Amino acid sequence: MRTPLPSPVDVAPPEGWRKCDLHDPFEAHLGPFFERMDETGERIFGFIADKRHANADGEVHEGMMLTFADAFLGGAANRALVGKSCVTLSMQGSFLAPARLGDFIECRTRLERKTRAILFVSGRFSVGAEDVMTVTSLWKVLGER
Amino acid sequence: MSRVQVDTSGFGGFAGPVFRDGDNYSFEIAAHHLNGDDRLHGGMMMAFASIVLGDVARQVVAEKQPGAGVSALSLNCDFVSAGEKGETVTGQARVSRATRTVLFISGDIRSGERILMTVTGVYAIKEPKGA
Repeated sequence: MRTPLPSPVDVAPPEGWRKCDLHDPFEAHLGPFFERMDETGERIFGFIADKRHANADGEVHEGMMLTFADAFLGGAANRALVGKSCVTLSMQGSFLAPARLGDFIECRTRLERKTRAILFVSGRFSVGAEDVMTVTSLWKVLGER
Repeated sequence: MSRVQVDTSGFGGFAGPVFRDGDNYSFEIAAHHLNGDDRLHGGMMMAFASIVLGDVARQVVAEKQPGAGVSALSLNCDFVSAGEKGETVTGQARVSRATRTVLFISGDIRSGERILMTVTGVYAIKEPKGA
């Protein structure tokens, strides 16, 4: 295993969460990100919004929300593959409500369909009980057609 | 035309910097923009697209409805090709339609002649505060 990349800011994980190992420089730049297993064994991910993630109004920037989505919907796609990798083909985000500075944003992913060459992955992003973004995405399995 | 930095917000400044020169936006792919394969991270490509479309949205609304704000309702990003370290990425966007409450914007992200991403966005126009 490669050594995980450090993030420029050290943030303690919320209780019950652990730091994700990040290997993409852009993700490490914006991290740390956290993960845990929920009661049903589903892997969920989160980050605490700080000023690196916010726009001028103190809301989490769409670019940050989509980067978080790309990282962990991609993780869900990769976990569905054995010995193969995939790349993002398309990603659509609907911004239901703003997330704000200091919020803990959680991500739940779902593999909607897997064909030999294409994966369909969706994600739901929430702050507490409120959904803030839904994402649908398409991933291409490299080397398959 | 002279080059100015756009979206100097926390994220825009920290993920960027992103520049505008007339109608053209750009950033240079630096080490912190990469993914694990040493190519431009998809998140940064979408972040750049959202900065370009958001800036165009704000400019159009500032002309039409001074004092009103914008917020993204939807962004759809298609990853046409990969960006490589050291390349300069450029972006342009145009308004397809503006209603009183909503903007439809589409854009292209390129490296030279090569298209990296096509993107469409729908933005809400928010009433000026106190209106």
